[in-house]
Amino acid sequence: MDITLGRFLRLLIAIILIAFIGWLFYSLSTIITILIISALMAYILDPIASYLEFRGLSRSQATIIIFLAFFIIIGVIGWLLVPGLFVELITLQNSLNLEDTAALSQNIKTFIAQNFSFINLENIDIDEKVGQLVTYITNELVFILTKLISVISYIVIVPFVVFFLLKDGRMMKKSFVQLIPNRYFEMILNVIHKTDQQLGWYLRGQFTEAFVVGLLSVIALWLLDVQYFIIIGVFAGFANLIPYVGPVAGAVPALVVTVVNGGSGLELVYIVIAFAIVQLIDNIVLQPLVLSKSVNLHPLVIVFAVLIGGQFFGVLGMLLAVPAAGILKVTSRELYTGIRKFNRL
Amino acid sequence: MQDDTMWGNIFRKEQKTEKSIYTVLENIPIFKDLSKKEIRAVERILHKRTYKANEVLFKEGDPGVGMYIIEQGHVNITLGPENKLLAVLSDGEFFGEIALLSETSRTATATAQTNCSILGFFQSDLFGLLETDPRMGNKILLRLAQMIGDRLRFSNIENQQLKLKLAKNEDKSGDKKVL
Repeated sequence: MDITLGRFLRLLIAIILIAFIGWLFYSLSTIITILIISALMAYILDPIASYLEFRGLSRSQATIIIFLAFFIIIGVIGWLLVPGLFVELITLQNSLNLEDTAALSQNIKTFIAQNFSFINLENIDIDEKVGQLVTYITNELVFILTKLISVISYIVIVPFVVFFLLKDGRMMKKSFVQLIPNRYFEMILNVIHKTDQQLGWYLRGQFTEAFVVGLLSVIALWLLDVQYFIIIGVFAGFANLIPYVGPVAGAVPALVVTVVNGGSGLELVYIVIAFAIVQLIDNIVLQPLVLSKSVNLHPLVIVFAVLIGGQFFGVLGMLLAVPAAGILKVTSRELYTGIRKFNRL
Repeated sequence: MQDDTMWGNIFRKEQKTEKSIYTVLENIPIFKDLSKKEIRAVERILHKRTYKANEVLFKEGDPGVGMYIIEQGHVNITLGPENKLLAVLSDGEFFGEIALLSETSRTATATAQTNCSILGFFQSDLFGLLETDPRMGNKILLRLAQMIGDRLRFSNIENQQLKLKLAKNEDKSGDKKVL
């Protein structure tokens, strides 16, 4: 009786714990997204840091150099793209300040009084309506701005986290291993090493592929004179992380933009051909080179991973779902073989 | 004043332990060619672990992942299900170095005889070193190769002697048969 009660209690505690962890993950999703993105970036940049170390720099120096290069690239891109966006937003906000509201409602009143004299202005509180409208639009703007601020905080926090993960990652790994009990120490160390190797290949492969596909798409769209070619090309690169759906999803925005801008049918055909060529290069040249397909994920797994990623973390989650599934697969496979080989548990 | 002595003691203690790891490493054959600075770097890579008496470090048949250096304490190396004692290793001695090169199964079981403080140097650490500091990694690899070469030569000699003994014995028994 005691044993069954004990078991039941243990099961209950386990369920509560799992639910709690699930809840924690859900409520901390923003922070977890930041961590995942940072960890991925640190992982991808790691060989560069190691190479610089190999050239005789210390780890800290290597990290600083990578960051300087990174900021220069980001700076150049920002210098080219961001000012336009800011100017538009600021002009919009300036045109909606409160001083103008009174004038605006006065204009409307005079307009109605002159043209529709039969309407009793006392009954319609124009001032309030106009005020409400402006408040609504301003609120929306504030919302957009807070979104922008959260994006900026990503831009600030992520490099900060990446910097320290890149610089002190090895020490962190060592400190983590230090905490593992002696019985599992060798096994966990081995699992971490194996997972590290395979994930290194996989993730670097995936992102090299995405980067090259993005770059090729940008060049192709620029040659075809498609508007917003940088954003669409970058998106196509990221979308390429998702097998099957990605390549199509990458081409759609280019087609939509061309249609909206009144492009001809021939232009659409050119865009499709351009994307097909990029995919061909990806399949024939890139994929065999980067070995990113070494982690074979079943198409169903990919579909569900993308759906789950989208459900919890939005568009970003959809893009990162496949690498995340790859990480999970490799880690669990290595953990399983580790446990079997070391005969623990 | 009291504070000063307290801090002084803490620092002295820290220095003492660091120095002891350094002297231990200095005398390990595979680190023999390394400069002071390089030994300090190895020190940062090593995993320091403590084992209680009778705790198992690794079992016979486990996949080997690296070598262990005893900083302090005694470790029993035993063989087979009946735990036949092969050797007792102590401060400054090391074992399992072949696992640095290939992931073969452990050929014996290592158990702490007393409370031990052990330093672990693993294949992943060595490979990482070869990537980031190949000059230093190569020094260690070369020493490792020399050690294994020495051991191979030693076991070859032993092998030859045993073969000779066997041949003599066979000759003797052949003589007896003839008689």
